Amino acid sequence: MGLLNAALFAVAIWLLVKPQQKSETWLWPLFLFVGLASVSRIAMSFIPNLMPVTIMAVMIGSKFGVQRGISFAILVTLASNAVLGHGWWSLFQIIGWASVAAVASVVKVHDVDGNLSMNRLAFASLWSVPIFSIIVSISILDSGMSMIEFGLYIANGLLYDVLHFLGNVFFAMWFGQWFERLLSMNQPQDRLVQQENEHVSTF
Amino acid sequence: MRFALLLLALLITPLAQASSESSWTQEFESGYISTQPLIVEDTIFVRISGFWTGEERPIVAAFEVQTGKEMWSYTSQTSLQHDMAPLLFVEGGSGTCGTWNDLLLVGWTDGKVTAHSTTNGSIVWQNQTEVELLGITGKMAYEEDRVIVPTRTGLSSFCLADGTELLDVDTGNIGWRNGVTITERGYVYGDEIGYLHQVNRNGIVLSTYIGEGKIRHAPLDTRHGLFVHLQTSQGSTLFLNGSNIGNMGASPAMPLFHNDRIYAATSDEWISISCDAQSCSVDSIEPFHSNGELALRIVDSNVEVWAPSNTPNGGWGVFNQTSLVRYEATTFDTYGTAAPGFDSGIIALGNDAGILSVRYQAAAESSSESSDIDAVGLLHYLSILLLFLLTCSSFAIKNWQQFAKIGSAFLLVAAIAVVPELSVKLAEQTASEQSVEWDASWPDEWKGTQVIVFEIDGKEHVIGGLEPQDTVYELTELACESLDITTEVEQQYLGAYLISFNGSVGDGWEFTIDGNWAPIGMEDAQLNVDSIVEWRPV
Repeated sequence: MGLLNAALFAVAIWLLVKPQQKSETWLWPLFLFVGLASVSRIAMSFIPNLMPVTIMAVMIGSKFGVQRGISFAILVTLASNAVLGHGWWSLFQIIGWASVAAVASVVKVHDVDGNLSMNRLAFASLWSVPIFSIIVSISILDSGMSMIEFGLYIANGLLYDVLHFLGNVFFAMWFGQWFERLLSMNQPQDRLVQQENEHVSTF
Repeated sequence: MRFALLLLALLITPLAQASSESSWTQEFESGYISTQPLIVEDTIFVRISGFWTGEERPIVAAFEVQTGKEMWSYTSQTSLQHDMAPLLFVEGGSGTCGTWNDLLLVGWTDGKVTAHSTTNGSIVWQNQTEVELLGITGKMAYEEDRVIVPTRTGLSSFCLADGTELLDVDTGNIGWRNGVTITERGYVYGDEIGYLHQVNRNGIVLSTYIGEGKIRHAPLDTRHGLFVHLQTSQGSTLFLNGSNIGNMGASPAMPLFHNDRIYAATSDEWISISCDAQSCSVDSIEPFHSNGELALRIVDSNVEVWAPSNTPNGGWGVFNQTSLVRYEATTFDTYGTAAPGFDSGIIALGNDAGILSVRYQAAAESSSESSDIDAVGLLHYLSILLLFLLTCSSFAIKNWQQFAKIGSAFLLVAAIAVVPELSVKLAEQTASEQSVEWDASWPDEWKGTQVIVFEIDGKEHVIGGLEPQDTVYELTELACESLDITTEVEQQYLGAYLISFNGSVGDGWEFTIDGNWAPIGMEDAQLNVDSIVEWRPV
C-alpha cells in the first residue's frame, strides 16, 4: 500500500510540473484547495457520504483542466486518507474524483468569460454523484459477487447518494462563490473587481 | 402556511412529549416488596408481603405505568405473610386444556396458586398445593400450556386455561424460595437439605445430593451442566455440574445467567463467573452485600447487572460484566432484596420499606456518553426546526438566493437524520438469500446454535454453542471474549465500527451472515438462533 501511495504521489507531482497550455496561475490556489478539501473531508467524515471534495473537484476540473484535476484528486485522497485510513478504496476514490474533474473540464461550470455559473454548479452537484459513486462501488467487486448482487449494493447506496447530492448542493450554494474567489486569487485585482461587479447569481 | 404549521407541529410534538415525562412513587403500608415488580406494556404489577408480624395482609396490585394510578389490587386474607414467590405474567394462548387470556400468576405462602385477570385482578382460577407451615415461596415457570410451581415439598403443574392439576410430585423435603428451572429433560429445583430434584415430564424424579446446605434459587442451566449456589453454614459454595468451583460468603442471592456469564452475590461479594468452551470459573469479585434477586438490563448493547444492597443504606449496585459501575439511590433507600423491574425507558424499584418508585430511563441514565449523544441529537433536531423556519421565511419574502442557501441546508440536515435508518430498512428488504455450508470439522453440538468464524492473519478462529445473541455486534463481543481475541471498536455516527481483531487493522473488516453480505452495521444486523457469522478482512 505504501508503494502504491508513493507512486500515486509521484504521478500527482508529475501532473503538476508537466507544462500545460493554460496560462492561468494555478499552483497556490490548487495547494490551498487541496489543504482545504482534505481538512474539511476529515472534519466531516463522521457524517456519512458528505464530501466537500466532490464539488471542489468539479471546480478545479472546470477552472484548471483535467490534468490539475487529477492531481488534485490524488493529493486530497492521499492526504485525507492518511488520517481516515488507506486501503484498496483509496485508488477508487482517486479515480472517482479524478473522473469528476475530467468530466467537469468538458462540461464546465464556468461560462465563456470564466465566471462561475451557479446553475451549472448546481447541475454538477447532481451528475458528479453517480460518476463518483459507481466508480467507488467497483472496489467491492470480487470474483464471488454476481452482477445482481452488485446492482443490489448500488441500490442500497442510493439513499446515501441522495445525501451526497444534497451535500454537494449545500457546498455549492454556501461556498461556491467563495471557492471561486480562492481559485482566482492570483488573478490581477482589476479583473477580480470586474468579475465581482458582473456577478449576478443565476440560481 | 397551513402545511408549514402542520410540519412545525409534527416536529415539536416529540419534544413536548419528552419533556412531559416524570416519575412517581407509591407507598404501601402493608409490608415488604421482596420480589421484582413486573412491567408489562402500560401496567406495573407488584406484590407486597405482610410484615411477617402483625395484622397486615399480603397484596398484589397493578398500576398504570405513566400515571401511577392504581388499576386494581388483590388482598389475600389467608396467606401467611412471608410471600416471596416472584410474580409470573403469561400471555394469552391456547393448549390442550383450552384457551386463556393474559394472566398474572401468584404463588402464596398458604399454598394457593391464583391466576388473575391482568385487567381487573379478578381470580380466573386457583388451586391448592401442599402446606407444611408454609406453602409456595419459589419462582414459578411456564411451559407451553402449563405453569410449573415449586411447592413446599415438591412440584406441581397446572393447566393455564383452567387450573387443572397436571402433575404433582412430592419429595418430602422442605423447600424455601426453591425456584424451578425448565430444562430439556424436565424441571429442576432444589431444597433445604442440599438435594437437586430433576423431574421428568412424566413425573419420574431423580434426586441428586449436592452438599450440606440449602438451595434457595432456581438452578441455572448452562452448557456445562446445572449451576447451584449452595447456602452453607460457613458461607456458600458454587457448584457447576456437581463440582465445587468456589467458596463464597453467606446468604447467597439468586444468580443470573447471560451470555456465558453467571452473576451471583452474597453478603460479602458480587461475583462474575465466566464460562468458556471447557468450563466456568470465577472471573471477578467485588465487595458488595446483596441477598435477593439480581436483574439484568441491556443498555446500548452493554450489560448491566443490578443488585439490591441489603444494608441499612440500601440502594442498588450496578455492575458491568466484571465490576461495579455505579450506585443507584432513591430518597427512601433501606434494606432491599427485590430486583428492579425494567422496560424500555422505565425502571421500577421496590424495597423493604414497601415503597415502589417508578422512573423513566431519561431521568435515571447517568452515563455521560448517552447524555452527549442525546445533546447532539437534540441539537440536530433543533437545527432542522430552525432551518425549516428560515426556509419558510425566505420563501415568504421571496428572497430566492437566500431560499436556495437555507433550503439546501435544511434538506441536508433533514436527510442526515433520516437516511441512515431508511437505508437499514431498505437493505433488510433487498438482502439476498444464500446458504452457507456447515463445516464438517465443527462439533455436532454447535448445530442449531449461532456459530461465528474469524479469519485473522490467515488463521481461522471459530466458536459455536454460545448463548443466542440478537445482533452481530453482541455475538462478536461474546465470541471474542471466549476466544481471547482482542477487539477495537469505534463508535461512529452510524454505530459501532470494528477497527481491528487482535490488533490487525488491515484494509478493514467485513462480515457475512449465513453467507450473505450484510449492507448494514454490525449493531443493526439481526441474527437467528442458528446464524453463522463470518468475519473476514476486506
